[in-house]
Amino acid sequence: MKKIGRGIGLSFYGTGYGNGFPDVSKARVRLLEGGKVGIYVGGTEVGQGAKTVLTQIGAETLKMPVEDIVFVHEDTVHMPDAGTAAASRQTYNTGNAIRVACENFRNKLKELAREHLALNSIYGLKVENGKIYLDFFPQKSLSFEELFEKSSKGDIEAEGEFVAQTVMMEEETGQGAPYWPYTFNACGVELEVDTLTGLVEIRKAVFAQDVGRAINPHLVEGQMDGGFAMALGYVLFEDLNLKEGKINNNKFSKYLIPTAMDTLEIEKIIVEDPESTAPYGAKGIGEPTMIPVGPAILNAIYDAIGVRITELPVTPERLVKAIQEHEKEKGEVK
Amino acid sequence: MKLEVVGKNILRIDALSKVTGRALYPEDFYMEGMVYGKTLRSKVPHAYIKVDTSRAEKIDGVIKIFTHKDVPNNKHGVVFKDHEVFCSEKVRRIGDPIAFVVAKDRKTCELALENILVEYEEIEGVFDPIEAMKDDAPKVHGDSNIVYHFKIRKGDVEEGFKNSHVIVENTYKTHMVDHAFLQPEAGLSFIDEEGRITVIVATQYPHYDREEIASALKIAEDKVRLINANIGGAFGGREDISLQIHLALAAHELKMPVKVVYSREESFLAHSKRHPLIMKYKTGADKDGKLLALEAEIIGDTGAYASWATNVLRKSGVHATGPYFIPNVKVDSYAVYTNNPYAGAMRGFGATQVPIAHEQQMDMLAEKLGMDPITIRLKNMFKKGSVTATGQVLTESVPLQECLERVVEKMDFPVGEKEAY
Repeated sequence: MKKIGRGIGLSFYGTGYGNGFPDVSKARVRLLEGGKVGIYVGGTEVGQGAKTVLTQIGAETLKMPVEDIVFVHEDTVHMPDAGTAAASRQTYNTGNAIRVACENFRNKLKELAREHLALNSIYGLKVENGKIYLDFFPQKSLSFEELFEKSSKGDIEAEGEFVAQTVMMEEETGQGAPYWPYTFNACGVELEVDTLTGLVEIRKAVFAQDVGRAINPHLVEGQMDGGFAMALGYVLFEDLNLKEGKINNNKFSKYLIPTAMDTLEIEKIIVEDPESTAPYGAKGIGEPTMIPVGPAILNAIYDAIGVRITELPVTPERLVKAIQEHEKEKGEVK
Repeated sequence: MKLEVVGKNILRIDALSKVTGRALYPEDFYMEGMVYGKTLRSKVPHAYIKVDTSRAEKIDGVIKIFTHKDVPNNKHGVVFKDHEVFCSEKVRRIGDPIAFVVAKDRKTCELALENILVEYEEIEGVFDPIEAMKDDAPKVHGDSNIVYHFKIRKGDVEEGFKNSHVIVENTYKTHMVDHAFLQPEAGLSFIDEEGRITVIVATQYPHYDREEIASALKIAEDKVRLINANIGGAFGGREDISLQIHLALAAHELKMPVKVVYSREESFLAHSKRHPLIMKYKTGADKDGKLLALEAEIIGDTGAYASWATNVLRKSGVHATGPYFIPNVKVDSYAVYTNNPYAGAMRGFGATQVPIAHEQQMDMLAEKLGMDPITIRLKNMFKKGSVTATGQVLTESVPLQECLERVVEKMDFPVGEKEAY
């Protein structure tokens, strides 16, 4: 028999290494040939979109197009340490470091422009679209390219650092401020359980994710789709078949992960409530986008068939077994 | 604030190179005179070992077989240095690295691996974290398998349960899973034009890899260079060291480019897994559905090595309440060694597991109270100014209610009715 159920899951997630451990990101910004700007940072692109989002933060701060920014993050010889691409911390921590580095860079450019333009002070100078100019007398202007040519090539640079604020928890009580910032989300699903085969099919999903501010909405949605699929695999598919320390399902023909056929068009809602300590208000969402999905599925399974699943994974065999045990228990009660 | 670039759907900067196949992953790098490496791994979960490489060394085309004797500092690990580059006396899990063969081609590597003699003196293993916590359990490291114990004590849970109208108690179990990233581990090492040991790899943290390589080889960090190629997914599975030190050691000793490519099967053995948790939950609420108390005991199996176990089980503990204000909270979370594959970082890092428990508890409390699942959440959820179980004040950017309300609207969940949905 096919039964339909609906369920909800909520979660919160604290960003960063946490618990008072120094969580440091560093970035360097340098003027390059042709008036381009290089951002050098050890933040890794693992597929989450860090390279794009971090470039956008730099471009916003320097008021220039992303095309004129060269993002260098591959080689330890050239880039300062920006910590792990983990803990959903790159947008918040490294984004902040880049913002600080770019602000320092802007100030440096203003100082240099003041000298080259023979001005008395930096007040009234604006940095925008690859040039430094005096707002109320725009004839006083110097392009990034001209400045590079006047410099001894590649020595105009600035650095930035961001250290996240957390407070170590007290050992006996756990009182402290272990993470910052926190992100929030809610996911609702509607699914169909085939009580004969144990197959669960998701029919509808609505997912609302707090992001502080979305630097790049499409990339946020990409994370939500990916997080949803990963949670689907976690709860319904993936099984290492671990016995006495041995992984028996050690290839993708046996260790099943969802394919495009198993996923669906999720209704994704981006909720914005900017965080004042974050770069342009943006919080990290890499991990959170996986978290509320699993419990929403489990609550929906209960709503469909009245069976509580307290052990993962809910593979078809296990679900059929749970249904049978539940029927047996009900029979005994009668 | 007027924003020009932030908030725009800029096309991924790496999109074109990835969709056209021009993006290079570590496996795609080749060099003149390149040789290959392959790792010998433990076939048993717990044993003392003796290793004899002499027969394998005589095979034509074998250049060098590295074991623990060749590593200046054989220890590494993200928090505790409990991993060995190559096991010296004992293996603690199936897949533990024992030796690393470098040969002229992959076939010769495989032949050499078959000819390394490993004498396993098996020891009783422990695979259940609850068993592992007992005093008489076989010990994986040192004299206790308990790596970490985290506590939250807030208010008085006994009092909270006494005043509760409904109490729900359950034990939840989550399982160990793999990151299943698409690109198995691979890498290439060589000495660059400035004499630096250079490793091309896919890693979540190049500066950490550099630090561990320098530490293992006892050389200065500026003599090591990490080049991060394109990365085919990570999800936490590329935080611990896998092949980085093996590659660096071989290039350093042999002064020739060395390449390693793991198969999918080896990849399953090489990196961490998600911590399986056993979560014992007791949650109480008053007649109106206000949460009064939570008592949770969370036991995490970190397998043979600690990796991030302390931080993961801490995160589980901190997030154990879910996004709800509860006045009385008692949480104990533990990380425990066993002879299972080792667990480490994976997307959500301990905070992915606990909602499997707390969100089902919420629904069960609601059902007992004759309340719908949305209403009970609205009554208890974090809002601006809420205080968490660790005493932290959520001063800003707490739009949880908006998240819930927008989902409720789109799902057309009935609110304020007796029945669940």
